[in-house]
Amino acid sequence: MTHNRRKFLLIGLGIALLATAFFVLTTNRAEAVPPDNVPVEAQQIRWEVFENVSLTASDQGQPLAISQSAEIPPPLKDPCLHCHITGEHTNLWTPLFRWSLFGMAGLVFAYGMYRSSSAWFSRKPWKSFSMRTVEWIDERYQIAEPLSKVLGKPVPKFATRWWYCLGGITAFVFVLQGITGIMLAFYYNPTPEGAYASIQFIETQVRFGASIRMIHHWAANGMVVMCFAHLARVFIMGAYKPPRELNWISGAFLLLLTLAFGFTGYLLPWDQRAFWATTVGSEIGGSFPVIGDLVLVFLRVGWDVGALTLSRFYSLHVLVVPILTVIFMGSHFLMVRRQGLARPL
Amino acid sequence: MTEANTPAEKEEIPFYPNHVSTEIKVVIGITFIAIVVGAIGLFAPVGLGVPADPMDTPAHVKPEWYFLAFYQILKYIPKSTGIWIMIVGIIGLILLPFIDRKPDKSTKAYRIRFILVAIGLILAIAFSILGEIS
Repeated sequence: MTHNRRKFLLIGLGIALLATAFFVLTTNRAEAVPPDNVPVEAQQIRWEVFENVSLTASDQGQPLAISQSAEIPPPLKDPCLHCHITGEHTNLWTPLFRWSLFGMAGLVFAYGMYRSSSAWFSRKPWKSFSMRTVEWIDERYQIAEPLSKVLGKPVPKFATRWWYCLGGITAFVFVLQGITGIMLAFYYNPTPEGAYASIQFIETQVRFGASIRMIHHWAANGMVVMCFAHLARVFIMGAYKPPRELNWISGAFLLLLTLAFGFTGYLLPWDQRAFWATTVGSEIGGSFPVIGDLVLVFLRVGWDVGALTLSRFYSLHVLVVPILTVIFMGSHFLMVRRQGLARPL
Repeated sequence: MTEANTPAEKEEIPFYPNHVSTEIKVVIGITFIAIVVGAIGLFAPVGLGVPADPMDTPAHVKPEWYFLAFYQILKYIPKSTGIWIMIVGIIGLILLPFIDRKPDKSTKAYRIRFILVAIGLILAIAFSILGEIS
């Protein structure tokens, strides 16, 4: 035991030393060694230059055109110390390499600390922290038994056939949409003036922004495809029959919500296609019997598609529809869980 | 719940870890596809059209592909009729388990439903293609 403890301590110290050495060796570029021919006063960082950069582009007092505002000013030399240290202004690979190097070294160090720390804290035989945590929680809430009952519930073997996975794929694609959607929402600006430019910004300036938008775009299409495939599968197998009526109904609502996602999300780029597709789409909604005008005004917030329509569609797309989807999806899953899968023929 | 008919259908596996591991395989597969799609996006982004201009109506307005078939049908029939078809369709979809409630497991019913889906799919694809080329 003692031998082990000392070994882990030595390994930890060694890793810390190694990490420090690596850090010093690879970041000494940050300690700006000035070239000989530069005068001393020019070596100081002149912060006012960087603070004024944002003003120079629009100091004419005129709002920027869309194409202009989508371009950020060219990167300056050494905009900040941490950008320099992580190498952000040079390329992607240097910080990526450093993060993985130090990250791995740090993980090894953290694991060594973790393995050895419990021996420092108590004289009892070694027990991992994860085990202790589980026991600590279970002592208080007694969840191990019900949880094992939930997790150990037998599932028929045919559930692993691929056509039984369509619903699960839809659910996972929804999660994917949530993640990429949040990422896009960080930069998206839901106003008629800013929407188009902000998407240009995402596609051209944000790191991996084009990837994220591509994934969001295609996963949206994939989610609709998977929804319809799941619907067809359940219909063909007759799994909607008693006692599974409510499950079918929640599924039908989920399909409608997915289409609502598509309809509201289509307007957000605010280009010609989006604008006129929404105009025509809300017009079709407006030809509902009796409540037509109400639907039209609800969708457009007025008689025309404009700034308020965009706000409304954005809030529907990122708040209302997702919350409803989560609620219906939860009940959908609970009912499947409770009733089990419908047997195949 | 209906009873299992054959021994093969009675076979059961625990939800965790056996069934979960299958689901995780699916998740990994989808994530891989998403990463590939994202990598393609770096070289060929989704892109944007012309900025929206309320004063300039384009010649052809098209909705997304999954509304295209319905949109194409609306061109042939009066709009109010089309809306009624949509309302009846949605209500019929929601109330399907109460309309067709005979609990049968026969191969015949299975085949009929399969043929219905196939016909619906072919019609939807045909109208979508019509909508796309028009």
